[in-house]
Amino acid sequence: MITGMIVDDATVMRIRLRDILESRYKIVAEASNGQEALDLYEQYHPDFVTLDITMPQMNGIEALQMLVTLHPEAKVVIVSAVGQKKMVFEAIAKGARDFIIKPFDPNRVLVAIDRLFE
Amino acid sequence: MKAEYANVFVRGATTVFTQEVGVNLSRTGLTRKNAPVPNLPISIVIGITGGIRGQVVYSMDQTFAYAVTKAMIPNKLPSELKKLTNSAVSEIANMITGQASIALAGENDLIHLTPPAVFSGSDMTVDFLSIPTICLSFISEIGSMEINIAFTEGGGAR
Repeated sequence: MITGMIVDDATVMRIRLRDILESRYKIVAEASNGQEALDLYEQYHPDFVTLDITMPQMNGIEALQMLVTLHPEAKVVIVSAVGQKKMVFEAIAKGARDFIIKPFDPNRVLVAIDRLFE
Repeated sequence: MKAEYANVFVRGATTVFTQEVGVNLSRTGLTRKNAPVPNLPISIVIGITGGIRGQVVYSMDQTFAYAVTKAMIPNKLPSELKKLTNSAVSEIANMITGQASIALAGENDLIHLTPPAVFSGSDMTVDFLSIPTICLSFISEIGSMEINIAFTEGGGAR
């Protein structure tokens, strides 16, 4: 079964994303900041990662950059409220496969993850 | 402070509340003050840096915050909902500020948000910026909320 990791500093958002994604995927880890995400990726090697941007300690853009450098195969979808055009371009340029802006439609999340494995 | 700042937050708040909470939020007032000091017991503070600098301070009461939490994660038990209230209202504030930042940044600017910080209770001591503030008041079927917007452009906020 395809495995995933949810990275978001808001517990409520991690619960919501887990509820949406567990209908099709196995969520093996949750992280609340970028550093924790890097540590848990090493431990679980999930097939995909949903990554927030605005987080304490290490933000999502920094984590994305480090994750993709260390693991070029990592499949990362950004899920963030900060969907400014420049931010979206920066995330995609740094290796994100998609960018979902909060608030989101649950189907948009499932379609984005499904596309990673087509 | 420009009126467009108020308009983007009104649009952001109504969009986010319709989608995430399932309630219509109506603006009831706009006042000006010297700092974004909140009037209601729960406050969520988000710092802004980049093309625009300052603070956005959301404020609401416990009943409103609980109703927001229940709408966002309806399948949780009441005891769990109470523990998750801060997380839920933080995320709502983050989404509204995020929506506003998309409109304010336009094509070329980048606006950074700090992670939301939640404060509550009468012993709250927070240093708010002393800069001109627009206070937007809203009402809905779950209660009242306000958004205090304190921005400077170019110069530093003190």
